[in-house]
Amino acid sequence: MSILNQLPGILSSMLFMSIPLILAALGGVFSVRAGIMALGLESMILTGAFTAVVGSYFSGNAWIGLLCGIIGGMFFGLCHGILCIRYKVNQVISGIGLNLLATAATTLLMQIIWGNKGSSESVESIPIRLSFLKDIPIIGDIFGTQSILLLFTIILVILGWILLFKMPFGLRLRMVGENPKAASSVGIPVKRMKYIGVLICGALAGMAGAYLSIDNLNLFVRDMSASRGYIAVAIAILSRYNPIGVLVFGGLFGLSDAIQIYAQGYGVPSQLVQMIPYIVTLVVLTFGVKNIQPPAGVGEHDDE
Amino acid sequence: MKNEKLLNLLNSSSVLISFVSFVLAVLVSGVIMLLSGYDPLYAYSIIFEGSLGSLRAISNTLIQATPLIFTGLAFMIAKKATMINLGVEGQLYCGALVSAIVGMTPLGLPGFLHFIITLVSGVIAGALAGAFIGFLKVKFGSNEVITTTMTNFIIINFCDYLVNYPLKSEGAVAQTDSMLPETLLPKILSSYQITYAIVIAVIAAIVIKFILDQTRFGYEIKVVGLNMIAGETAGIHVKKIMMLGMSLSGSLAGLAGATHVMSVGKRFISGFSPGYGFSGISVSALASDSPLGIILAGIIFGALKTGSMYLNMSSKIPTEFVSVIQALVVIFVSAPLLIKSIIGLDRKPKGGK
Amino acid sequence: MKSVEMVGIVKQYPNVKALDHVSFSLSKGEIHSLLGENGAGKSTLMKILYGMTMMDEGSISINGEVVNIKSPKDAIELGIGMVHQHFMLSPVMSVMENIIVNNEPKQGLFVDEKKAKKEVQDLIDRFNFNINAESKVQNLSVGEQQRVEILKAIYRGANILILDEPTAVLTPQEVDELFVIMSKLKEDNKSIIIITHKLKETLAIADKISVLRDGKMVKRDIPIKNVTVHDLAKFMVGRDVQLNVRRENKNMGDVYFKVENLSLEEKGIKVLKNINFSINSGEILGIAGIEGNGQTELIEVLTGLKKPTEGRFIKGDEELTGDAEKFIKNKVGHIPEDRHLRGLVVDLPIEDNLILGYHDKPEFMKNGLMQWKNIASFSNKAIDDFMIKTPSKNELVSSLSGGNQQKVVIARVFEQNPDVLIAAQPTRGVDVGATEYIHQELYKLRDEGKSILLISADLDEVRSLSDRIAVIYDGRIVSINKADEIDELQLGLYMTGGKDGESDEE
Repeated sequence: MSILNQLPGILSSMLFMSIPLILAALGGVFSVRAGIMALGLESMILTGAFTAVVGSYFSGNAWIGLLCGIIGGMFFGLCHGILCIRYKVNQVISGIGLNLLATAATTLLMQIIWGNKGSSESVESIPIRLSFLKDIPIIGDIFGTQSILLLFTIILVILGWILLFKMPFGLRLRMVGENPKAASSVGIPVKRMKYIGVLICGALAGMAGAYLSIDNLNLFVRDMSASRGYIAVAIAILSRYNPIGVLVFGGLFGLSDAIQIYAQGYGVPSQLVQMIPYIVTLVVLTFGVKNIQPPAGVGEHDDE
Repeated sequence: MKNEKLLNLLNSSSVLISFVSFVLAVLVSGVIMLLSGYDPLYAYSIIFEGSLGSLRAISNTLIQATPLIFTGLAFMIAKKATMINLGVEGQLYCGALVSAIVGMTPLGLPGFLHFIITLVSGVIAGALAGAFIGFLKVKFGSNEVITTTMTNFIIINFCDYLVNYPLKSEGAVAQTDSMLPETLLPKILSSYQITYAIVIAVIAAIVIKFILDQTRFGYEIKVVGLNMIAGETAGIHVKKIMMLGMSLSGSLAGLAGATHVMSVGKRFISGFSPGYGFSGISVSALASDSPLGIILAGIIFGALKTGSMYLNMSSKIPTEFVSVIQALVVIFVSAPLLIKSIIGLDRKPKGGK
Repeated sequence: MKSVEMVGIVKQYPNVKALDHVSFSLSKGEIHSLLGENGAGKSTLMKILYGMTMMDEGSISINGEVVNIKSPKDAIELGIGMVHQHFMLSPVMSVMENIIVNNEPKQGLFVDEKKAKKEVQDLIDRFNFNINAESKVQNLSVGEQQRVEILKAIYRGANILILDEPTAVLTPQEVDELFVIMSKLKEDNKSIIIITHKLKETLAIADKISVLRDGKMVKRDIPIKNVTVHDLAKFMVGRDVQLNVRRENKNMGDVYFKVENLSLEEKGIKVLKNINFSINSGEILGIAGIEGNGQTELIEVLTGLKKPTEGRFIKGDEELTGDAEKFIKNKVGHIPEDRHLRGLVVDLPIEDNLILGYHDKPEFMKNGLMQWKNIASFSNKAIDDFMIKTPSKNELVSSLSGGNQQKVVIARVFEQNPDVLIAAQPTRGVDVGATEYIHQELYKLRDEGKSILLISADLDEVRSLSDRIAVIYDGRIVSINKADEIDELQLGLYMTGGKDGESDEE
């Protein structure tokens, strides 16, 4: 088998793996643009994954599951917002505290609901694939088995870019992130904008989580976000907080995940290949972030 | 007026914030238990009994507390040097692995020397792992929260690989061979499991307190942590301090791993840590970064952990409640404004009318 | 009918009454100067008018109608605009974006960029501002940024403009240009309040003057014809003050500190270009210049914080090399330009701050161990010597007033008796009492024969303290003159690069 024959398969896995990263990093972009560090992304993804399964489990409908996933992510986004905005908590500590809480709470609730510490029962997963592309050569191999959420993701990235850079809301949100005092001095409701930023972040990260649990799989697994929240933060930084960049770097990190899956097929010990995405993140982040500045107002607690 | 006095005390006293945070976290967890159909009073009484009710229970509590004291200190020291070290867990693995390897290898040395080398090699391994993160931060400006998270995965996976393949001992379990008896920490009381590891932990806390209060490094790390640029202006070598801080943090994490394999594990077992590194965040939060407070906070969380395992044996209540309490403590302690508003002290004194 | 009528305004902060039944009024088409010292309550009063701070008591009417201003949004709707001292702009965004934000012209759901560009450019042209609407704000000069701030207010339809210390950051020439703009705005029938503590400027531009002192309105609506600078100073401070009296320098010595061919390149840009100067013992050399012309870098190089690309320093007979630690050990003292950024660790006690940078001296540290007993007695002495107002050396620096915080910085350096002092903005954000005190201390050090380099954005301060004045422009020293041989106008020309003088010495 030559690598060329493998290529559609690798690309397909790449898309699979990049969807949650792109969604979460896009969320991170909105959070940071509003001036709030996105280190709580991990908690939003994990909670989204969990509540999606819960929603699907109790309703028997994957779409309701997806909605629950989004709401779950938004709930943690809101918690992060309340802690950072209202109670002026250090944004890094708040994010980490929530990540710890999400890990503990999802495991706890999983045990309470299903009596199992490792994974939940199987639930309905999102049924629609892009199967209408199936018969086209090559393209069908790459896209035919992808979830409808791939389409959503691409649309959301484009919408996100338009919202941030073409619409009044985006200009105001960016001003809030860059200089909250200036924003406040022209009458922008700074706190409200920040809440909107973290809520969008939570919704997108929740969706990323739902993708992991009820699209990619059909159950919740303990700690299934596997630090994707932190990788998403790295993607948001590398993309210079621009949705289009998120698409690019999300794809790149998806590729490293795909290579991992690919390498496993060749008998390399799984422990070693599983390191790949983390090594890639470490290396790219280390050498790629020179001169990237977050918005000037990030981390500030402004008393308007 | 009474309220005002209480407010002043709250403002001045981080101890009170920690205390209230802890009580709140326990209450919230209790409510969750209640909602999921368990009796929190019963649960907490069992936890109390299982952690402090007998000499054996206390011994188990102190065993659990030992790594938490180390990781709490590790997290705290890094934080003083402006770094959020989420990599304590990975650094602890480094220490444990290296100590286990050194301890299981016959070196032909006198027993005591082998023991010392076993301990020190773990410390050095942790220190190097910490220094690596410090280096990335200082040299490239990489966000340490992300680099530590990534290195945790890399380290833990790599350790897993080693004990599954090249270092695997015979049998089904992914673990190394057992360490030589002379490299293990002796027990304090022959009929209980507790070893001198707890003594090392307490000494470590006292040493750290001394360093922070009385030495040049302690003074400089405080300055750098609170205003890096003022430190630089004062001729302090900020990057050196950050590197030293991260190395010290890593060495404490390594010490946690080393003492763990030298007392509890007696070898390196895959996945041996139930997240000691992350619990260190809660420990240092509850202690509001005071070294001696960390001893107490470590014992409190150690007791919760021990008690909850006891509870798990006698009922179906999941041990994860303890993790929820730990996470809530981190959040509450970091949000004094929230604590004040919850206990009704946020209302501003009325002026004018 | 008055444009603005504020009556009986009270604002109480936890420890101080910031405003005590203050009344203030502004007529249409009038330029009204609100005069007062730092901390007198000027900014608080105007922030109340602009909805950024809530008052505890009092009432406000705009154009005869009683209004309730709860936020800047309300104020903007009432036609009030404010140009803040610290510009409310995002440097990475364009002029246009900064101006239109929250008042964007729309086309459906989107920002109508074409229309926005045209509106903004029209506005710029109307005032002959010569700014490109699409430039990023970070590429504009300070004066231009201020104009963007003014446009921001006008764009929002402001008829009442509040200018908060608008001349603080400007050169004399830019000040003149600002005054032209203000007159133009006045012709446009706009009413203007200018907050300032600069007396001469007040007399130059204002129609009427009101003076605040310690939260009370001490004089209202004085027409400018009836007052002199000295009267105003007296109203402002509450006692007779000596304005800008230079103290004769009697024992200046020979050259002690010398800077030769100093250059610094950063990210490929030369920020310091071939700088040469020397300071005698017992001399204050002042450096004047508009902020951002290399002063910060010059300070950093002179204190060892940055290594120069070229050049050397000579102190006494020896060349100075090494890092900040080395410079401090070699008795080059440093008063940083921003005490919160560089000077102090505000969350540490006063005593820790009093030894910062000198903490490894043998009296404070032995064998790596801090000598807290010695540090305590030293701290108590320093607190006494420099009259730092505090209950104890163990208080956090954050609990001190700005003036006392600066005294901590001054005390730290002066107690160590430096040979050379790099004093950057030594009185920034400090009240008049502390300013006078700090000036006296600088004189004292000079008269002890030490060499002092004074870098200050306050031209008056440079002119009154310095024996000689150098001007820095675009990373070069463009002139050095005896202080009594150069006037403000010429300095202004040098500062703006309008005159490229070979220095009259050497």
